[in-house]
Amino acid sequence: MDNITLAQGIVKAAALLGAGMCMGMGALGPGVGEGFVAGKACEGIARSPENASLITRTMLVGQAVSESTGIYSLVIALLLIFST
Amino acid sequence: MAKKKSPILKIFILFILIETVLVFVSNGFNKELQIGFDNGKFVLRNIQSHYDLQEKITEEFQIDEHYRQTGETPEIYGSNKTYEFFKNIFGKATAIGTFQLLRMLFIVDIMLLFIALLIKKKLLKRPSQPQILFEMIYTALKQFVIETLGKERVHFTPYIMTLFLFIWVCNVVGMIPIPGFIEPTRNLNVPLGLGVFAVAIVHITALKVKGVWGHLKNYVNPVKNPLFLLDIIGELSKIVSISFRLFGNVLGGAIIILVVSSLVSYVVFPVGLNLFFGLFVGTIQAFVFTMLALTYIGVEISE
Repeated sequence: MDNITLAQGIVKAAALLGAGMCMGMGALGPGVGEGFVAGKACEGIARSPENASLITRTMLVGQAVSESTGIYSLVIALLLIFST
Repeated sequence: MAKKKSPILKIFILFILIETVLVFVSNGFNKELQIGFDNGKFVLRNIQSHYDLQEKITEEFQIDEHYRQTGETPEIYGSNKTYEFFKNIFGKATAIGTFQLLRMLFIVDIMLLFIALLIKKKLLKRPSQPQILFEMIYTALKQFVIETLGKERVHFTPYIMTLFLFIWVCNVVGMIPIPGFIEPTRNLNVPLGLGVFAVAIVHITALKVKGVWGHLKNYVNPVKNPLFLLDIIGELSKIVSISFRLFGNVLGGAIIILVVSSLVSYVVFPVGLNLFFGLFVGTIQAFVFTMLALTYIGVEISE
């Protein structure tokens, strides 16, 4: 951490800033999508409560799949933080 | 009305107690907190840690890099001969990480084999409780396979069941609070290998079902399918998406557990976080991986 040149410092700062922006923007889409899925599942359960377990299972799997774009941005943010 | 506690609740409470005690013993008191006498009073004080958070994360996730930065000699478990052996094979850059990964994979395999032998040894006609559990898992997955692939391809059930149990044990084994117990899926190589294997099985099945030309004409016939390059890239991106999803979930959970438990000085919070990221996310992700592998096979052989 001691003795780094100005160029290295600028690169490190830009990588950290990029990681923060990557996480912030990458979390928007999965948040909206998972909320939408959960709302629709609520509607479905209210309409037919006897299918509640099936709907819950499908909802969890769908949320986990739609979460993956957020996970990709997490991986990229970790790469930016730790490999520069 | 005296309500009888269910066995699951009992196991749950027992687990929380054991985990709390083990977290205190293994991490808390010898690293960050200290009980002692200070000026004649009994105090519980916070030692000034000589690590900062960045170094701790590096030690946890890039252990070879940590030893290279600090310049300490790596203290390998057992003798130094093991370290020399792995250094000769894998090179200095990844020796300890590879050793830890291989050891954890070995432990997971031993656990699976042990449970399987234990269940197989006493198969009863009136099944015992563990037998019921495993028969339920097997029946549920068999039902999924029949729904997706049809009744004539039930023989995929052992593969699907092995995939599910292996990934699930890999995700859950990190909850055991012993130093050095990491999830093997935290390393990218394990999910990538599983993903490559799943996509290879998809194509081998399609070749078997539709014949060689019947399968390949979707990819190499420019007249019928002008955008065949995009299909090939799509096949590659299947591997990337299915493996990075598992890897990112497990790694992100591990980093969040480390950061939050270092913020609260390893007191009680890690137990709940371990329950969420280890059990809940681990089970969901193992299920999603299995279902996606099954769906890829089903889509490819459907026509």
